[in-house]
Amino acid sequence: MKFKSKHISITIFILFAAVPVLLGFGYALLYSFGLTGILSEGFTTEYWEKTLLATEFWKSLGFSLFIAAVVMTTSLFFSLWIVISWTKNLYKGLLSYVTYLPLAFPAIVMAFFSFQLLSKSGFISRVIFNLGWIDDLSQFPDWTNDAYGVAIIFSLCLLITPFFIILYSNLYQNERIPELKALAQTLGAKKNQITTRIIVPILLKKSAFTIMLFLIFVMGTYEIPLLLGRQDPSMLSVFIIQKLQKFNLADIPQAYAVSVIYILLIATLIAVVYKTRPAFFNPEKN
Amino acid sequence: MEPLLHIDNITKSFGSETVLHNVSFMLQEHEVLSVLGKSGSGKTTLLKILAGLEKEDDGTISLSRKRMNDTPPNKRNIVYLYQEPLLFPHLNVSENIAFGLKIRKQSPDVIKTKVEHMLAEIGLEEHAEKMPHQLSGGQRQRVSFARALIIEPKVLLLDEPFGALDAETRVQMQELFKKLSKKMKLTSIFITHDLKEALTMGDHIGKIELGHFKRYESKQDFYDDVDSGAQQEAAFWKQFN
Repeated sequence: MKFKSKHISITIFILFAAVPVLLGFGYALLYSFGLTGILSEGFTTEYWEKTLLATEFWKSLGFSLFIAAVVMTTSLFFSLWIVISWTKNLYKGLLSYVTYLPLAFPAIVMAFFSFQLLSKSGFISRVIFNLGWIDDLSQFPDWTNDAYGVAIIFSLCLLITPFFIILYSNLYQNERIPELKALAQTLGAKKNQITTRIIVPILLKKSAFTIMLFLIFVMGTYEIPLLLGRQDPSMLSVFIIQKLQKFNLADIPQAYAVSVIYILLIATLIAVVYKTRPAFFNPEKN
Repeated sequence: MEPLLHIDNITKSFGSETVLHNVSFMLQEHEVLSVLGKSGSGKTTLLKILAGLEKEDDGTISLSRKRMNDTPPNKRNIVYLYQEPLLFPHLNVSENIAFGLKIRKQSPDVIKTKVEHMLAEIGLEEHAEKMPHQLSGGQRQRVSFARALIIEPKVLLLDEPFGALDAETRVQMQELFKKLSKKMKLTSIFITHDLKEALTMGDHIGKIELGHFKRYESKQDFYDDVDSGAQQEAAFWKQFN
Protein backbone atom coordinates (compact mmCIF):
# COMPACT_ATOMS: atom_id res chain seq x y z
CA MET A 1 0.00 0.00 0.00
CA LYS A 2 2.82 2.31 1.02
CA PHE A 3 4.72 1.30 -2.12
CA LYS A 4 1.69 2.10 -4.27
CA SER A 5 1.07 5.53 -2.73
CA LYS A 6 4.77 6.40 -3.18
CA HIS A 7 4.49 5.59 -6.89
CA ILE A 8 1.33 7.68 -7.22
CA SER A 9 3.12 10.65 -5.59
CA ILE A 10 6.08 10.31 -7.95
CA THR A 11 3.76 10.05 -10.97
CA ILE A 12 1.82 13.15 -9.93
CA PHE A 13 5.09 15.05 -9.39
CA ILE A 14 6.40 14.03 -12.83
CA LEU A 15 3.10 14.92 -14.54
CA PHE A 16 2.63 18.33 -12.94
CA ALA A 17 6.19 19.48 -12.27
CA ALA A 18 8.67 17.73 -14.53
CA VAL A 19 6.72 17.13 -17.76
CA PRO A 20 5.61 20.76 -18.40
CA VAL A 21 9.15 22.01 -17.78
CA LEU A 22 10.68 19.38 -20.05
CA LEU A 23 8.11 20.05 -22.77
CA GLY A 24 8.84 23.77 -22.56
CA PHE A 25 12.56 23.14 -22.70
CA GLY A 26 12.13 20.77 -25.65
CA TYR A 27 10.00 23.31 -27.53
CA ALA A 28 12.59 26.06 -26.88
CA LEU A 29 15.37 23.75 -28.08
CA LEU A 30 13.50 22.84 -31.30
CA TYR A 31 12.62 26.50 -31.95
CA SER A 32 16.24 27.61 -31.43
CA PHE A 33 17.41 25.10 -34.05
CA GLY A 34 14.75 26.18 -36.53
CA LEU A 35 12.78 22.94 -36.26
CA THR A 36 9.54 24.61 -35.33
CA GLY A 37 7.98 28.08 -35.44
CA ILE A 38 6.47 30.38 -38.00
CA LEU A 39 9.64 30.84 -40.04
CA SER A 40 10.89 27.30 -39.62
CA GLU A 41 12.93 26.08 -42.61
CA GLY A 42 14.49 23.00 -41.07
CA PHE A 43 17.51 22.39 -38.86
CA THR A 44 19.97 25.27 -38.62
CA THR A 45 22.58 26.45 -36.15
CA GLU A 46 22.27 30.00 -37.46
CA TYR A 47 20.36 31.34 -34.44
CA TRP A 48 22.79 29.78 -31.96
CA GLU A 49 25.72 31.23 -33.88
CA LYS A 50 24.08 34.65 -33.99
CA THR A 51 23.39 34.50 -30.27
CA LEU A 52 26.81 33.27 -29.20
CA LEU A 53 28.66 35.69 -31.48
CA ALA A 54 26.57 38.70 -30.47
CA THR A 55 28.13 40.92 -27.79
CA GLU A 56 24.69 41.94 -26.52
CA PHE A 57 24.04 38.38 -25.26
CA TRP A 58 27.33 38.22 -23.35
CA LYS A 59 26.80 41.74 -22.01
CA SER A 60 23.35 40.73 -20.83
CA LEU A 61 24.67 37.56 -19.19
CA GLY A 62 27.51 39.50 -17.54
CA PHE A 63 25.10 42.21 -16.36
CA SER A 64 22.76 39.60 -14.87
CA LEU A 65 25.67 37.94 -13.06
CA PHE A 66 26.88 41.34 -11.84
CA ILE A 67 23.44 42.31 -10.51
CA ALA A 68 22.95 38.89 -8.86
CA ALA A 69 26.39 39.01 -7.22
CA VAL A 70 25.98 42.58 -5.92
CA VAL A 71 22.40 42.01 -4.73
CA MET A 72 23.27 38.80 -2.91
CA THR A 73 26.44 40.21 -1.34
CA THR A 74 24.64 43.35 -0.16
CA SER A 75 21.56 41.48 1.09
CA LEU A 76 23.63 38.88 2.92
CA PHE A 77 25.84 41.55 4.49
CA PHE A 78 22.89 43.57 5.81
CA SER A 79 20.82 40.58 6.92
CA LEU A 80 23.77 39.06 8.81
CA TRP A 81 24.63 42.42 10.31
CA ILE A 82 21.05 43.03 11.46
CA VAL A 83 20.61 39.52 12.88
CA ILE A 84 23.95 39.58 14.72
CA SER A 85 23.53 43.12 16.06
CA TRP A 86 19.84 43.10 16.90
CA THR A 87 19.22 39.47 17.79
CA LYS A 88 17.06 40.09 20.82
CA ASN A 89 15.08 42.95 19.26
CA LEU A 90 14.10 40.81 16.27
CA TYR A 91 11.87 38.66 18.45
CA LYS A 92 9.89 41.42 20.11
CA GLY A 93 8.40 44.86 19.57
CA LEU A 94 8.03 46.85 16.38
CA LEU A 95 11.10 45.44 14.66
CA SER A 96 9.68 41.91 14.66
CA TYR A 97 6.74 43.19 12.53
CA VAL A 98 8.65 45.69 10.39
CA THR A 99 10.98 42.93 9.20
CA TYR A 100 8.07 41.11 7.55
CA LEU A 101 6.64 44.22 5.88
CA PRO A 102 8.77 44.32 2.68
CA LEU A 103 7.87 40.67 2.04
CA ALA A 104 4.29 41.80 1.40
CA PHE A 105 5.41 44.02 -1.51
CA PRO A 106 5.04 42.49 -4.97
CA ALA A 107 8.15 43.02 -7.08
CA ILE A 108 6.42 45.49 -9.40
CA VAL A 109 5.22 47.61 -6.46
CA MET A 110 8.73 47.63 -5.05
CA ALA A 111 10.02 48.71 -8.45
CA PHE A 112 7.55 51.67 -8.56
CA PHE A 113 8.45 52.56 -5.02
CA SER A 114 12.17 52.58 -5.91
CA PHE A 115 11.48 54.64 -9.03
CA GLN A 116 9.62 57.28 -7.05
CA LEU A 117 12.41 57.34 -4.52
CA LEU A 118 15.51 57.28 -6.72
CA SER A 119 14.63 58.88 -10.07
CA LYS A 120 15.72 62.40 -11.05
CA SER A 121 12.25 63.70 -10.21
CA GLY A 122 11.91 61.37 -7.22
CA PHE A 123 11.67 61.93 -3.50
CA ILE A 124 15.39 61.94 -2.63
CA SER A 125 16.20 64.21 -5.56
CA ARG A 126 13.54 66.73 -4.40
CA VAL A 127 14.74 66.65 -0.81
CA ILE A 128 18.31 67.33 -1.92
CA PHE A 129 17.09 70.09 -4.28
CA ASN A 130 15.15 71.74 -1.45
CA LEU A 131 18.18 71.50 0.80
CA GLY A 132 20.00 73.51 -1.85
CA TRP A 133 22.62 70.86 -2.55
CA ILE A 134 21.75 70.83 -6.27
CA ASP A 135 20.54 73.71 -8.44
CA ASP A 136 18.40 71.61 -10.73
CA LEU A 137 16.72 68.20 -10.50
CA SER A 138 18.60 67.13 -13.62
CA GLN A 139 21.85 67.35 -11.63
CA PHE A 140 20.73 64.43 -9.49
CA PRO A 141 22.72 61.31 -10.49
CA ASP A 142 21.22 58.63 -12.73
CA TRP A 143 20.10 55.96 -10.32
CA THR A 144 17.20 54.63 -12.39
CA ASN A 145 17.59 53.15 -15.87
CA ASP A 146 21.34 53.57 -15.42
CA ALA A 147 24.27 51.52 -16.66
CA TYR A 148 25.07 50.00 -13.26
CA GLY A 149 21.53 49.00 -12.29
CA VAL A 150 21.55 51.02 -9.04
CA ALA A 151 17.75 51.06 -8.71
CA ILE A 152 17.51 47.37 -9.69
CA ILE A 153 20.02 46.47 -6.99
CA PHE A 154 18.25 48.70 -4.46
CA SER A 155 14.82 47.16 -5.15
CA LEU A 156 16.02 43.58 -5.14
CA CYS A 157 17.94 44.14 -1.91
CA LEU A 158 14.78 45.56 -0.31
CA LEU A 159 12.87 42.45 -1.40
CA ILE A 160 15.49 39.86 -0.47
CA THR A 161 17.10 41.21 2.72
CA PRO A 162 13.99 40.68 4.92
CA PHE A 163 13.78 37.09 3.77
CA PHE A 164 17.37 36.44 4.86
CA ILE A 165 16.83 38.31 8.13
CA ILE A 166 13.99 35.93 8.96
CA LEU A 167 15.97 32.90 7.76
CA TYR A 168 19.06 33.86 9.78
CA SER A 169 17.17 34.81 12.92
CA ASN A 170 15.57 31.33 12.86
CA LEU A 171 18.88 29.62 12.10
CA TYR A 172 20.47 31.63 14.91
CA GLN A 173 18.30 29.82 17.42
CA ASN A 174 18.12 26.43 15.67
CA GLU A 175 21.89 26.19 15.37
CA ARG A 176 22.27 27.15 19.04
CA ILE A 177 24.45 30.14 18.21
CA PRO A 178 24.02 31.75 21.67
CA GLU A 179 25.49 28.64 23.33
CA LEU A 180 28.27 28.34 20.75
CA LYS A 181 29.05 32.02 21.29
CA ALA A 182 29.34 31.50 25.04
CA LEU A 183 31.49 28.44 24.53
CA ALA A 184 33.81 30.25 22.12
CA GLN A 185 34.09 33.10 24.61
CA THR A 186 35.25 30.80 27.39
CA LEU A 187 37.72 29.26 24.94
CA GLY A 188 39.21 32.73 24.61
CA ALA A 189 37.57 34.14 21.48
CA LYS A 190 37.06 37.89 21.18
CA LYS A 191 33.81 39.39 19.89
CA ASN A 192 35.05 39.85 16.31
CA GLN A 193 36.54 36.34 16.28
CA ILE A 194 33.20 34.89 17.37
CA THR A 195 31.48 36.77 14.56
CA THR A 196 33.96 35.91 11.82
CA ARG A 197 34.91 32.37 12.87
CA ILE A 198 31.68 31.06 14.35
CA ILE A 199 28.47 32.95 13.63
CA VAL A 200 28.95 34.04 10.01
CA PRO A 201 30.46 30.75 8.74
CA ILE A 202 27.73 28.67 10.41
CA LEU A 203 24.90 30.83 9.07
CA LEU A 204 26.38 31.02 5.57
CA LYS A 205 27.06 27.30 5.43
CA LYS A 206 23.58 26.42 6.61
CA SER A 207 22.00 28.77 4.09
CA ALA A 208 24.32 27.94 1.16
CA PHE A 209 21.62 26.12 -0.79
CA THR A 210 19.11 28.93 -0.28
CA ILE A 211 21.73 31.47 -1.37
CA MET A 212 22.27 29.52 -4.58
CA LEU A 213 18.51 29.43 -5.25
CA PHE A 214 18.26 33.18 -4.69
CA LEU A 215 21.20 33.80 -7.02
CA ILE A 216 19.29 31.92 -9.71
CA PHE A 217 16.10 33.79 -8.83
CA VAL A 218 17.81 37.21 -9.05
CA MET A 219 19.46 36.36 -12.36
CA GLY A 220 16.06 35.49 -13.81
CA THR A 221 14.05 38.33 -12.30
CA TYR A 222 11.95 40.31 -14.79
CA GLU A 223 9.61 43.07 -13.56
CA ILE A 224 12.17 45.10 -11.63
CA PRO A 225 14.85 45.28 -14.38
CA LEU A 226 12.10 45.92 -16.95
CA LEU A 227 10.95 49.03 -15.11
CA LEU A 228 14.20 50.26 -13.62
CA GLY A 229 16.82 48.98 -16.05
CA ARG A 230 18.17 50.00 -19.44
CA GLN A 231 17.69 48.33 -22.79
CA ASP A 232 21.45 48.00 -23.02
CA PRO A 233 22.74 46.36 -21.00
CA SER A 234 19.61 44.55 -19.93
CA MET A 235 19.21 41.57 -17.69
CA LEU A 236 18.73 38.20 -19.39
CA SER A 237 15.00 37.94 -18.76
CA VAL A 238 14.40 41.39 -20.27
CA PHE A 239 16.76 40.58 -23.14
CA ILE A 240 14.81 37.38 -23.91
CA ILE A 241 11.42 39.14 -23.84
CA GLN A 242 12.78 41.91 -26.08
CA LYS A 243 13.77 39.28 -28.64
CA LEU A 244 10.48 37.39 -28.29
CA GLN A 245 8.21 40.38 -28.66
CA LYS A 246 10.03 42.25 -31.40
CA PHE A 247 8.35 42.72 -34.77
CA ASN A 248 11.22 40.82 -36.33
CA LEU A 249 10.04 37.21 -36.24
CA ALA A 250 13.55 36.02 -37.01
CA ASP A 251 14.60 37.13 -33.53
CA ILE A 252 12.25 34.65 -31.82
CA PRO A 253 14.51 31.59 -32.31
CA GLN A 254 17.38 33.64 -30.81
CA ALA A 255 15.24 34.33 -27.74
CA TYR A 256 14.74 30.59 -27.35
CA ALA A 257 18.46 29.96 -27.86
CA VAL A 258 19.24 32.41 -25.04
CA SER A 259 16.65 30.69 -22.82
CA VAL A 260 18.20 27.29 -23.51
CA ILE A 261 21.72 28.58 -22.82
CA TYR A 262 20.56 30.12 -19.55
CA ILE A 263 18.86 26.89 -18.46
CA LEU A 264 21.93 24.85 -19.42
CA LEU A 265 24.18 27.22 -17.47
CA ILE A 266 22.06 26.91 -14.34
CA ALA A 267 21.67 23.15 -14.74
CA THR A 268 25.45 22.78 -15.18
CA LEU A 269 26.07 24.87 -12.08
CA ILE A 270 23.69 22.70 -10.03
CA ALA A 271 25.16 19.48 -11.48
CA VAL A 272 28.73 20.56 -10.66
CA VAL A 273 27.78 21.46 -7.11
CA TYR A 274 25.85 18.21 -6.72
CA LYS A 275 28.76 16.16 -8.04
CA THR A 276 31.48 17.87 -6.02
CA ARG A 277 29.58 18.61 -2.82
CA PRO A 278 26.53 16.36 -2.41
CA ALA A 279 26.13 17.48 1.23
CA PHE A 280 25.28 20.94 -0.16
CA PHE A 281 21.83 19.61 -1.03
CA ASN A 282 21.33 18.14 2.43
CA PRO A 283 20.96 20.94 5.00
CA GLU A 284 21.32 18.41 7.85
CA LYS A 285 24.80 17.49 6.73
CA ASN A 286 25.80 20.86 5.38
CA MET B 1 48.51 26.30 50.41
CA GLU B 2 46.95 29.27 48.65
CA PRO B 3 43.74 28.21 46.80
CA LEU B 4 43.62 28.66 43.04
CA LEU B 5 39.97 29.67 42.96
CA HIS B 6 38.34 31.55 45.78
CA ILE B 7 34.57 32.08 45.71
CA ASP B 8 33.30 34.42 48.38
CA ASN B 9 29.63 35.08 49.12
CA ILE B 10 28.31 34.84 45.59
CA THR B 11 24.66 35.78 45.38
CA LYS B 12 22.45 35.75 42.32
CA SER B 13 18.75 36.41 41.79
CA PHE B 14 16.55 36.27 38.73
CA GLY B 15 13.69 38.64 39.40
CA SER B 16 12.33 37.85 42.85
CA GLU B 17 13.85 34.38 42.91
CA THR B 18 17.24 34.04 44.60
CA VAL B 19 19.14 31.25 42.86
CA LEU B 20 22.41 31.44 44.80
CA HIS B 21 22.68 32.43 48.47
CA ASN B 22 26.13 33.56 49.64
CA VAL B 23 27.97 30.71 47.99
CA SER B 24 31.54 30.43 49.28
CA PHE B 25 34.21 27.81 48.72
CA MET B 26 37.78 27.37 47.64
CA LEU B 27 39.39 25.18 45.04
CA GLN B 28 43.00 24.08 45.28
CA GLU B 29 45.20 23.73 42.22
CA HIS B 30 44.88 20.31 40.51
CA GLU B 31 41.77 19.55 42.55
CA VAL B 32 38.57 18.09 41.09
CA LEU B 33 35.53 19.15 43.02
CA SER B 34 32.34 17.21 42.31
CA VAL B 35 29.21 19.20 42.95
CA LEU B 36 25.92 17.41 43.40
CA GLY B 37 22.66 19.15 42.87
CA LYS B 38 19.15 18.60 41.62
CA SER B 39 17.68 20.41 38.63
CA GLY B 40 17.01 24.02 39.50
CA SER B 41 19.37 24.00 42.46
CA GLY B 42 21.49 26.78 40.93
CA LYS B 43 24.50 24.70 39.88
CA THR B 44 24.51 25.78 36.23
CA THR B 45 24.12 29.43 37.27
CA LEU B 46 27.10 29.05 39.59
CA LEU B 47 29.28 27.64 36.80
CA LYS B 48 28.17 30.35 34.37
CA ILE B 49 29.05 33.02 36.92
CA LEU B 50 32.50 31.49 37.39
CA ALA B 51 32.99 31.41 33.61
CA GLY B 52 31.84 35.03 33.30
CA LEU B 53 28.77 34.15 31.25
CA GLU B 54 26.42 35.41 33.97
CA LYS B 55 26.97 38.38 36.23
CA GLU B 56 26.72 37.80 39.97
CA ASP B 57 24.71 40.27 42.06
CA ASP B 58 27.16 40.21 44.92
CA GLY B 59 30.32 38.48 46.10
CA THR B 60 33.82 38.05 44.74
CA ILE B 61 35.57 35.53 42.52
CA SER B 62 39.35 35.35 42.73
CA LEU B 63 41.60 33.28 40.54
CA SER B 64 45.25 33.03 41.64
CA ARG B 65 44.47 35.82 44.12
CA LYS B 66 43.33 38.11 41.33
CA ARG B 67 39.77 39.44 41.43
CA MET B 68 37.93 38.19 38.35
CA ASN B 69 34.47 39.71 38.73
CA ASP B 70 34.96 42.22 35.93
CA THR B 71 37.20 40.10 33.73
CA PRO B 72 35.42 39.12 30.48
CA PRO B 73 34.94 35.38 29.82
CA ASN B 74 37.55 35.27 27.07
CA LYS B 75 40.25 36.52 29.43
CA ARG B 76 39.49 34.32 32.45
CA ASN B 77 41.00 31.11 31.09
CA ILE B 78 38.10 29.24 32.67
CA VAL B 79 36.39 26.94 30.19
CA TYR B 80 32.74 26.04 30.61
CA LEU B 81 31.55 22.80 29.03
CA TYR B 82 27.86 22.38 28.38
CA GLN B 83 25.76 19.35 29.26
CA GLU B 84 25.73 18.40 25.60
CA PRO B 85 28.99 18.20 23.67
CA LEU B 86 28.51 21.35 21.63
CA LEU B 87 30.91 21.23 18.70
CA PHE B 88 31.23 23.93 16.08
CA PRO B 89 29.16 22.35 13.29
CA HIS B 90 31.12 23.94 10.43
CA LEU B 91 34.49 22.63 11.62
CA ASN B 92 35.81 19.08 11.49
CA VAL B 93 37.26 17.26 14.51
CA SER B 94 40.81 18.64 14.08
CA GLU B 95 39.56 22.16 13.45
CA ASN B 96 37.29 22.01 16.49
CA ILE B 97 40.18 20.93 18.71
CA ALA B 98 42.48 23.56 17.21
CA PHE B 99 39.97 26.40 17.69
CA GLY B 100 41.41 27.80 20.92
CA LEU B 101 44.95 27.70 19.56
CA LYS B 102 44.03 29.35 16.26
CA ILE B 103 42.34 32.29 17.93
CA ARG B 104 45.48 32.68 20.05
CA LYS B 105 47.35 32.86 16.75
CA GLN B 106 49.73 30.02 17.53
CA SER B 107 51.91 28.86 14.64
CA PRO B 108 50.47 26.19 12.31
CA ASP B 109 53.26 23.76 13.25
CA VAL B 110 52.58 24.09 16.97
CA ILE B 111 48.84 23.72 16.36
CA LYS B 112 49.37 20.60 14.24
CA THR B 113 51.61 18.95 16.84
CA LYS B 114 49.31 19.76 19.74
CA VAL B 115 46.17 18.64 17.90
CA GLU B 116 47.77 15.34 16.87
CA HIS B 117 48.85 14.77 20.46
CA MET B 118 45.38 15.56 21.76
CA LEU B 119 43.72 13.31 19.15
CA ALA B 120 45.95 10.47 20.36
CA GLU B 121 45.00 11.19 23.98
CA ILE B 122 41.30 10.91 23.23
CA GLY B 123 41.74 8.01 20.82
CA LEU B 124 40.25 9.71 17.80
CA GLU B 125 43.22 9.86 15.42
CA GLU B 126 41.19 8.05 12.76
CA HIS B 127 38.38 10.58 12.95
CA ALA B 128 40.39 13.80 12.57
CA GLU B 129 38.72 14.82 9.32
CA LYS B 130 35.17 13.88 10.27
CA MET B 131 32.47 16.46 10.75
CA PRO B 132 30.57 16.61 14.07
CA HIS B 133 27.41 15.03 12.60
CA GLN B 134 29.47 11.94 11.71
CA LEU B 135 30.43 11.27 15.34
CA SER B 136 28.67 9.40 18.15
CA GLY B 137 27.69 11.16 21.38
CA GLY B 138 30.73 9.80 23.21
CA GLN B 139 33.10 10.79 20.43
CA ARG B 140 31.65 14.30 20.36
CA GLN B 141 32.18 14.55 24.10
CA ARG B 142 35.81 13.50 23.67
CA VAL B 143 36.36 16.20 21.06
CA SER B 144 34.69 18.71 23.33
CA PHE B 145 37.12 17.79 26.12
CA ALA B 146 40.11 17.91 23.84
CA ARG B 147 39.11 21.34 22.53
CA ALA B 148 38.94 22.63 26.10
CA LEU B 149 42.10 20.91 27.38
CA ILE B 150 44.34 21.93 24.50
CA ILE B 151 44.34 25.54 25.70
CA GLU B 152 45.37 24.42 29.18
CA PRO B 153 42.64 26.25 31.11
CA LYS B 154 43.26 27.23 34.69
CA VAL B 155 39.88 25.84 35.66
CA LEU B 156 37.59 23.52 33.74
CA LEU B 157 33.88 23.71 34.51
CA LEU B 158 31.89 20.64 33.53
CA ASP B 159 28.13 20.86 33.67
CA GLU B 160 26.81 17.28 33.81
CA PRO B 161 29.02 16.36 30.87
CA PHE B 162 28.02 12.70 30.76
CA GLY B 163 24.33 13.14 31.48
CA ALA B 164 23.24 12.35 27.93
CA LEU B 165 25.45 9.30 27.43
CA ASP B 166 24.51 5.62 27.75
CA ALA B 167 25.84 3.72 30.77
CA GLU B 168 28.75 2.06 28.98
CA THR B 169 29.97 5.19 27.21
CA ARG B 170 29.54 7.10 30.43
CA VAL B 171 31.96 4.77 32.26
CA GLN B 172 34.47 5.06 29.39
CA MET B 173 34.24 8.84 29.51
CA GLN B 174 34.66 8.89 33.29
CA GLU B 175 37.83 6.82 32.94
CA LEU B 176 39.12 9.06 30.17
CA PHE B 177 38.42 12.18 32.18
CA LYS B 178 40.15 10.76 35.24
CA LYS B 179 43.17 9.77 33.16
CA LEU B 180 43.45 13.16 31.48
CA SER B 181 42.72 15.01 34.68
CA LYS B 182 45.60 13.26 36.43
CA LYS B 183 47.97 13.54 33.49
CA MET B 184 47.28 17.19 32.79
CA LYS B 185 46.89 18.13 36.44
CA LEU B 186 43.51 19.68 35.84
CA THR B 187 41.67 21.90 38.25
CA SER B 188 37.98 21.41 37.69
CA ILE B 189 34.47 21.60 39.03
CA PHE B 190 32.43 18.63 37.95
CA ILE B 191 28.68 18.99 38.25
CA THR B 192 26.55 15.90 38.36
CA HIS B 193 23.35 14.64 39.92
CA ASP B 194 24.71 11.11 40.10
CA LEU B 195 26.07 10.15 43.54
CA LYS B 196 28.36 7.43 42.25
CA GLU B 197 29.76 9.67 39.55
CA ALA B 198 30.39 12.44 42.08
CA LEU B 199 32.34 10.05 44.31
CA THR B 200 34.25 8.54 41.37
CA MET B 201 35.24 11.78 39.70
CA GLY B 202 35.89 14.21 42.52
CA ASP B 203 38.77 14.56 44.97
CA HIS B 204 36.28 16.43 47.09
CA ILE B 205 32.52 16.72 47.07
CA GLY B 206 30.21 19.66 47.39
CA LYS B 207 26.48 19.89 47.31
CA ILE B 208 24.21 22.66 46.16
CA GLU B 209 20.61 22.75 47.28
CA LEU B 210 18.17 25.59 46.68
CA GLY B 211 21.10 27.92 46.07
CA HIS B 212 22.99 26.99 49.25
CA PHE B 213 26.41 25.44 48.81
CA LYS B 214 28.04 22.99 51.18
CA ARG B 215 31.51 21.57 50.76
CA TYR B 216 32.34 18.31 52.55
CA GLU B 217 35.70 17.93 54.24
CA SER B 218 36.07 14.35 53.02
CA LYS B 219 34.18 11.65 51.19
CA GLN B 220 33.51 9.99 54.57
CA ASP B 221 32.05 13.25 55.78
CA PHE B 222 29.81 13.23 52.70
CA TYR B 223 28.76 9.63 53.38
CA ASP B 224 28.05 10.39 57.03
CA ASP B 225 25.75 13.27 56.14
CA VAL B 226 22.24 11.78 56.18
CA ASP B 227 21.01 14.48 53.80
CA SER B 228 23.63 13.69 51.15
CA GLY B 229 21.64 10.62 50.02
CA ALA B 230 24.77 8.44 50.02
CA GLN B 231 23.57 6.21 52.88
CA GLN B 232 20.20 5.62 51.22
CA GLU B 233 21.99 4.69 47.99
CA ALA B 234 24.28 2.27 49.84
CA ALA B 235 21.32 0.74 51.68
CA PHE B 236 19.52 0.19 48.39
CA TRP B 237 22.40 -1.82 46.92
CA LYS B 238 23.04 -3.71 50.18
CA GLN B 239 19.62 -5.37 49.99
CA PHE B 240 20.87 -7.40 47.00
CA ASN B 241 23.87 -8.79 48.94
